[in-house]
Amino acid sequence: MTQTVEVLSQWVPIALSNMIETGTSAGVVAKGAEIVVWRDSSGVAHAWEDRCPHRGMKMSFGFVRGDHITCLYHGWEYDQSGTCQYIPAHPEVEVPKSICVARYGVAEAGGLIWAQLPLGSDESSFAGLPAMEGVKSVYIDASYATVLSVLRKQGCADGAVANVMILDRDGATMTIGIQPISNAQCALHITVPKGCAGDVRESILDWSEELRRSIEELEVVT
Amino acid sequence: MILHNYDLFENCYRVRLVASCAEVALELINVDAFPGAEEKSPEYLKLNPMGRLPILEDNALVLRNLSAILIYVAEHDIDKRFIPDEAKDRAQMMDWLGFACDDLAVAVQARAVALLDATGDVVELRAQARTLFRILDDHLTRQSLRGANFVAGDAPSLADLALFPAFALSRDFNLDHDEFPALRLWARRIRLLPGFITMPGIPDYH
Ligand code: FES
Repeated sequence: MTQTVEVLSQWVPIALSNMIETGTSAGVVAKGAEIVVWRDSSGVAHAWEDRCPHRGMKMSFGFVRGDHITCLYHGWEYDQSGTCQYIPAHPEVEVPKSICVARYGVAEAGGLIWAQLPLGSDESSFAGLPAMEGVKSVYIDASYATVLSVLRKQGCADGAVANVMILDRDGATMTIGIQPISNAQCALHITVPKGCAGDVRESILDWSEELRRSIEELEVVT
Repeated sequence: MILHNYDLFENCYRVRLVASCAEVALELINVDAFPGAEEKSPEYLKLNPMGRLPILEDNALVLRNLSAILIYVAEHDIDKRFIPDEAKDRAQMMDWLGFACDDLAVAVQARAVALLDATGDVVELRAQARTLFRILDDHLTRQSLRGANFVAGDAPSLADLALFPAFALSRDFNLDHDEFPALRLWARRIRLLPGFITMPGIPDYH
């Protein structure tokens, strides 16, 4: 008998758009899932399982070449659909179409790159967010619950979509994407409206570093 | 100029990287540091009683301190690209050079414990290196807000070149790059500098 476990699909912000430049890749973890996020030469972002089908090397250790991402280990090259196109050790061989990296649904909105968890969820369209600009991603050694409760105390309100909070501070309205990494770690991706002044952005940096410090101290005490 | 060199030592790579970017010719003498510990042999202890590499020799001059070596090499750059002229810029560069050569010694040690049989508590050293990477990531985020792409201004300096290896090699001691987006972008800019070279553990993407 087979049992089906219903897992709700969920969009999670995994990076600030401006931190993943064209032609680069990075490793991220969202709710324990290891993801490579990369941007191809035409500027399109991709979020895949961070695992090369060949021998399991992290794809995020590899590098982007044009519209392909190449594994660092043996140089297998994958196209935007995740399909392996080239195996350097066997250049004459036509690569079987079955060699593929598993992909996450991906969206880019509100200055953030989003991945849809879990792997293989039906790609549902992503609700729009207003255009924003990334200021900083802050990585905090604390659980999602702790970070959330501190943000609420600071006056954060829920945003228009899940995993987003809004905070008015220093004359700017920040939109903060929250990325649960593990039980003990979270990332906050802080964005501001376009045209937000430089000194306001600087004070947001001060605030974010202080926030990280105070939350982590809290975690040490409890 | 002679560099007594071991290819897998991060601090020797720092010197080779600066020399390559500054277009200063180095003669390399390769020392059997691992597992031979030749830098601790009687002949080498005469050159450097601390029993460490790198050592830079220029005729009668013998230098053993990392930042002294890096500055000496960078000053021989005909175009003086990596040492700012102006006192304030130069001081800021020196500030980060100290961070690279002194504070980040914990990253060098973490890697030496993980790869080269050195003694030390790799968990503790990794935690210390992570704290320092955060400081650098915070700083570079501020710098880019002010329109400066590098640690001490909008031009790459000796400090950037000295800082790069610690970050680029941190996976050797299991410190990943996920948490340091500003460092990732900065490291990419360093990679694009004319004369940039790699070492084992730092992949060449081309
Ligand atoms: S593990 Fe990726 S190419 Fe071999």
